[in-house]
Amino acid sequence: MSPSDRPHRLSSLIAGTRGRVVRVALDNRDRAERLTALGVTPGAPIVVLQRFPGVVFQCDQTELAVEPTVADAIFVDIDEPRDQLW
Amino acid sequence: MSCAQAAVRDGAVDSLLTLRSRPRRIALVGNANVGKSVLFGRLTGQYAVVSNYPGTTVAITQGRAVIGGEVCDVIDTPGITALNGALSEDEHVSRRILEDDDLDLVIQVADARNIRRGLMLTSQLAAFGRPMLLVLNMVDEAHAHGVEIDVAGLQAELGVPVLETVATEGRGVPEVRLALGHGAVLASTGPQSPRDHARWAHDLVVKFRRVRPHSAVRWQERLSRAVREPLTGLPILALVLYVMYLAVGVFGAQTLVGLIEKGVFTRFINPAAISLADRFIPWEPVRALFVGEYGLITMGMTYAIAIVLPVVATFFLVFGFLEDSGYIPRLAIFSDRIFRAMGLNGKAVLPMVLGLGCDTMATMTTRVLGTPKERLIAVLLLALGVPCSAQLATILGILGGISFAALMTLFGVVLLQMFIVGFLAARALPGERSEFIMELPPLRWPQMRNIVHKTVIRVRWYLGEAVPLFLLGTGLLFVLSRTGGLTWVTRMAEPLVSGLLGLPPQAAGVFVMGFLRRDYGAAGLFQLAHAGQLDAVQAVVALTVMTLFVPCVANFLMMVKEQRLRPALAILAVVTVIALGTGAVLNLILRGLHVTF
Repeated sequence: MSPSDRPHRLSSLIAGTRGRVVRVALDNRDRAERLTALGVTPGAPIVVLQRFPGVVFQCDQTELAVEPTVADAIFVDIDEPRDQLW
Repeated sequence: MSCAQAAVRDGAVDSLLTLRSRPRRIALVGNANVGKSVLFGRLTGQYAVVSNYPGTTVAITQGRAVIGGEVCDVIDTPGITALNGALSEDEHVSRRILEDDDLDLVIQVADARNIRRGLMLTSQLAAFGRPMLLVLNMVDEAHAHGVEIDVAGLQAELGVPVLETVATEGRGVPEVRLALGHGAVLASTGPQSPRDHARWAHDLVVKFRRVRPHSAVRWQERLSRAVREPLTGLPILALVLYVMYLAVGVFGAQTLVGLIEKGVFTRFINPAAISLADRFIPWEPVRALFVGEYGLITMGMTYAIAIVLPVVATFFLVFGFLEDSGYIPRLAIFSDRIFRAMGLNGKAVLPMVLGLGCDTMATMTTRVLGTPKERLIAVLLLALGVPCSAQLATILGILGGISFAALMTLFGVVLLQMFIVGFLAARALPGERSEFIMELPPLRWPQMRNIVHKTVIRVRWYLGEAVPLFLLGTGLLFVLSRTGGLTWVTRMAEPLVSGLLGLPPQAAGVFVMGFLRRDYGAAGLFQLAHAGQLDAVQAVVALTVMTLFVPCVANFLMMVKEQRLRPALAILAVVTVIALGTGAVLNLILRGLHVTF
């Protein structure tokens, strides 16, 4: 996967991808607030850990498990490829 | 106001006993699973149940202590993620505590490793204008993960005392006590939208926190990965269940129960009680009340102490280890899809697994679920299918002695029934489920001291809660048997018990006991089975019905408390019908297929 200018949905990233949260989609307020409260906020570093059976990622120092629709709503700027060799 | 100024204002009175018209009220608040209850225990000397997952504290606990020469009321609150916006029940409770005029000091406990989230809450606390302290707990873990915080810098920026602790070891706690008089009001952090809180916290994190690459916790990362990935995680789950079965089902339910029942009760206590009664109690009815067939000692105490207690104790010991390791929340990853089909999400794994300890406590824990619909379904499923430890005790004790296939039949039928009911309830009940978003606490090597402490508290609670009901149940059976009521019940229930379920008529009395406590009823089945009055198929059918049967009295009262009377009664009715229906069908199938186990 090559780095790109536009943010990626968390759900589209493979395990091991590192990046930073750009934004959380605001179509579902409750979800956005819960994610924000858990530290999924713009600028927070993020690492994708697993995709199946649920999406698991580490955001800053918190490990979170979410269902795919939630991962769809998190937008991530991925780091340079060398950082993905994890 | 800086910390130093605050200290001057409060005066140098730390060493004197200060008298006030009322104790100082101090509230511990913070995100979930940051160690509020541990700090509470350290400050007050009282133990609140502590585990390694969010949602252990569901109700507020208050403790009085003399701290720094003052009488203080310390309030432990459930973990919260926010104080503004859409709030959970727990968050409303915390808000009300913060709004209470009598509150003198707020101690915000934050996970040092995770100050971003802690500071977002700090930002919201500012709006309440209370003097506060910020305690960064678990600094040892933070250091191990390469997280360093510039405490002095953060304290200067916030203007409130910031302290570092390792509450489980008591490190930094004396400093917290000393600082209690120096709490300062946090200056307003500006606009109060979630975004602003996040930005404010982010700026502070960038300024005062450094994360070095670390290598100290590789085992944690490896293990964490192994338990959450299906290829390794599912075998690990099977292994965990097997070890639990060995510990609880074999060691607890067979070895210990055999030792205590046969070795102590049958050999010493009961003969001694009988000979004492024979000598000192001249009236036969009174004698029978204590040592007869339905005697308080020969039946009530024997069931409670010899049959159920050993299993409950071993279960809580193993369970405490799992709780504190942080393993249980990880099961949510595997179970999310299944729970979603049942109108819940993976988070429901917490109350369900806790239900294996005690359905009453688990019913209270359903508060961690997101919507009313989820809470109702979870309460229903707990009442229907999740056997509590005491009941598990008797199931393992009876079926463990028959065959593994018998055990799997029971669990298979119960799980299938739970799934069907959940699936239908998800479609029949109004409302929505919430999305699955769950924090996974770090895996930790549990502290034996905490596990033992927790087990002792839970066993004591079992004794206080269950033993009186066992005795009450025995007394009731005694009266029924004396007045001919039991014969009447047995005859009335015979078409149901013998006809429909294919059980011996005496089983009717056992189901009467089951109304009081399911485990009590199951203990009755245990005795029937030992007396050779149940064949294998009958044992499986009877235990399956008992497992699905009505919840115990305490659980029912908790259901009323959490869901109000009408839903609770409806659940009761539904569960009873399902239990008997399932038993009847299972009996037909097993007999039809000539299964013998």
